[in-house]
Amino acid sequence: MEFDSPEEKEFPGLYASEAADTKSKKSKEESDFSEGDYDKHSKKDLLLGRRKDKKDKGKDRGYAALDGESSPEEELDTKSPSKSKKSKTFKFVSSKSKEKREKSRDKEKETKGVEEEQALKTKEKEKDKEKERQHDEKEQKKKEKERKEKDKKDKTDKKDKKDKKSKQTQQEDTSEHDEAVALGCPIFGVPLSLATERSRCHDGVDLPLVVRDCIDVLQQEQSLRCPTIYVVEPHNVSHFKRLYNNREYDADMDEMDTHTACTLLILFLRELPEPILTTDLLTSFEEVSRNRSVTKRETELQQLVEQLPKCNRTLLGWLMLHFDSTVQQCRYNKFNAQSLALLLRQHLQMSQRLMVVLMYHATHLFPDIKLIKYVPPLTSASPELPDKPEEIQMELRKQDSLLSQIHNEMNEGFINKKREEQLWEVQRIITQLKRKLRSCEKKQEKSVDEVESSTSAPPPPPQSDTTDSKPNPPQIEATAQQLGEAMPTTDSSPSPPSVIDKETGYLLLPKTNPQRDELLRLQIEFDELMSWQNELKTRIITERNEIFRLKQVYEQEALKPQATAIASQEQLPEEGDYERIIEHYTRENALLEHKKQMLGMELKEERRACIALQVELRLQQF
Amino acid sequence: MSKKPTAGPALHKVIMVGSGGVGKSALTLQFMYDEFVEDYEPTKADSYRKKVVLDGEEVQIDILDTAGQEDYAAIRDNYFRSGEGFLCVFSITDDESFQATQEFREQILRVKNDESIPFLLVGNKCDLNDKRKVPLNECQQRAQLWSVPYVETSAKTRENVDKVFFDLMREIRSRKTEDSKATSGRAKDRCKKRRLKCTLLVFFDLIRDISSRKKQRQMDVKEPAKPSPCCQLL
Repeated sequence: MEFDSPEEKEFPGLYASEAADTKSKKSKEESDFSEGDYDKHSKKDLLLGRRKDKKDKGKDRGYAALDGESSPEEELDTKSPSKSKKSKTFKFVSSKSKEKREKSRDKEKETKGVEEEQALKTKEKEKDKEKERQHDEKEQKKKEKERKEKDKKDKTDKKDKKDKKSKQTQQEDTSEHDEAVALGCPIFGVPLSLATERSRCHDGVDLPLVVRDCIDVLQQEQSLRCPTIYVVEPHNVSHFKRLYNNREYDADMDEMDTHTACTLLILFLRELPEPILTTDLLTSFEEVSRNRSVTKRETELQQLVEQLPKCNRTLLGWLMLHFDSTVQQCRYNKFNAQSLALLLRQHLQMSQRLMVVLMYHATHLFPDIKLIKYVPPLTSASPELPDKPEEIQMELRKQDSLLSQIHNEMNEGFINKKREEQLWEVQRIITQLKRKLRSCEKKQEKSVDEVESSTSAPPPPPQSDTTDSKPNPPQIEATAQQLGEAMPTTDSSPSPPSVIDKETGYLLLPKTNPQRDELLRLQIEFDELMSWQNELKTRIITERNEIFRLKQVYEQEALKPQATAIASQEQLPEEGDYERIIEHYTRENALLEHKKQMLGMELKEERRACIALQVELRLQQF
Repeated sequence: MSKKPTAGPALHKVIMVGSGGVGKSALTLQFMYDEFVEDYEPTKADSYRKKVVLDGEEVQIDILDTAGQEDYAAIRDNYFRSGEGFLCVFSITDDESFQATQEFREQILRVKNDESIPFLLVGNKCDLNDKRKVPLNECQQRAQLWSVPYVETSAKTRENVDKVFFDLMREIRSRKTEDSKATSGRAKDRCKKRRLKCTLLVFFDLIRDISSRKKQRQMDVKEPAKPSPCCQLL
């Protein structure tokens, strides 16, 4: 990239200022700038000798493609705001891809024999479990990767002599193969669904982890505002790629910067075997994007987007929303939708227009998607486990998802020491979380949970005289619980020697302590209330049993409908009386229900008084 | 994941195996937290880590409590593979759980491919001696066949709970030092021997088991004629 880089460094700033200029001015400058570009290159070409030929071709091709793809009506719009940048970046992209094509052709000839041999070896080494498809994927991936690597190599070594370069690339090849052998189930270069499945985000978002991490990095404000976001020199991300392929990426250890994230994200997208919009739907998407009615376009796009496989839809949504937020920072990064689309359309395998359209509609097309930063499952290195039950449950879901992924991978034969360690560790965290959750639940059980469950969902309607048993328990339990909670605090506060009454188990403070009576009273009351609670609980159980028994009887009765039918026929009343009788009984029943409730209240009060007296009585004993 | 304190004290990995409801989790929890859980809740898999002092040396023990139920047998292999020592638990009040230890032993040997893997046969619930269904001598006999120690425990009374874990850790430790001493060549030889011994032992074991079962059946006609698990090996 040596000869490209000076330009790149100069350009963003240069064009940034221009981008702010008016459109009319720009269209005029347009031609100048492209000329300038050409000039520069021809100079360089002279310097570089024969290497230039390829470059030039690439450039030409790039321009041709651009002209062909942008439609006349959009032309002005597209070019004016950042014309200069476009030509620049485009050239960069095109030269890269051009070179890629050329190189891969050359190299493939050179190394095809070696490659095949090694591929065979790799195959042999692979486990029987591995499916044919995976072999293919692997090979495909490997080849792609090689191309990529060569690309990079070439870029950095452009000035090197040819023979030297070929040596190096061959070395690269072998190292590539070694790497490939070590990989069981790669993430890069496999179909999106497979990549998603293999490296899940454990919070339920269907994105491959690598994409999620990259977008997370890029969504940071400083990334979004970086004027060189997506204008990156090719830079070696094979380290990160390997980490992701081996599931060894650790955000704490290897932090990605903006440009690494860009490159890695683009690399991932480029290595996808199928366009994000899928081969089947791509043409329909392109057609729809030509629709000039905004609302119609949106509904049509909506329909198409819903046809995409789920993981494709998610990836598209995340990317478009992210690009949209990138463009929203155009004040800082000088990117508008057009220029960004021009820069990235190739990697996303869609036209510039389509990409602009998708970005424009992103928020409406993907209302369900929010770019949430991924919080990976906790590890043993994480300082603290969550405390709130909901958080624990959320973390548990993540850990469970992680655990099942580990199991799946291990069952596929993706086994190494690290995996096993991880398996135990995840299992340990799950165990801890479960224990914590259980203790939380136990704490809540008596107070909140029971009150809620018994008040919000009272037992089935009264069948026999359940009287007051239902409304009471929650209150009683709540008070009992409050007392129970209050106890320890009063227990612990007095330091003078306290005695435990042997008969009752009460804590007795010395007679001098003013809190003695209070504590004693509370303890006795607690006792009484507990016994009442138990009494009511047993009653609930008997009532429930009764309900169950009655239900069974009912079911049995229902089995012989004829008998009941006959019985009811016998006492059929006259037509007129019928309604009157129903009305009468309804009223009567309502009245009885009311009376019963009043009695229940009374009974409760009586019982309360009873308990109070009982407490006083027992207090006398001490 | 990457910041494990493995560099510190030695880490011994213990796996609890055995049928459902024999008290694997109870033993583990008693060892870990000195608590006895009355209510039964089937385990899927749980893992614990504890720092202990083993013969004056601070070590860490990782305990993996596996599921007794067959439902989770699919993921068992993944765990067995990474275990360094096994506590094979049955309940002395449940003959079926005792018979099942045979299968667990076989599965472990198959996965580890090593007959001398640290292994303890543990008869739990010895506080319920009055409800004993598995005679002591039968347990000892089986342990002898496998040349492994046999210990009776009670998770409820904590009897021998520490003992089984510490005994197993000692075995794992001695096994590790032995392994690190051995050169690669010798290790291979030993491995071969082990395997041979293993197959022979399993074979003998099988014959003896069959004959003992026959005797038992003659004695106890009531016992339902269920397929003996060891026959499945053939």
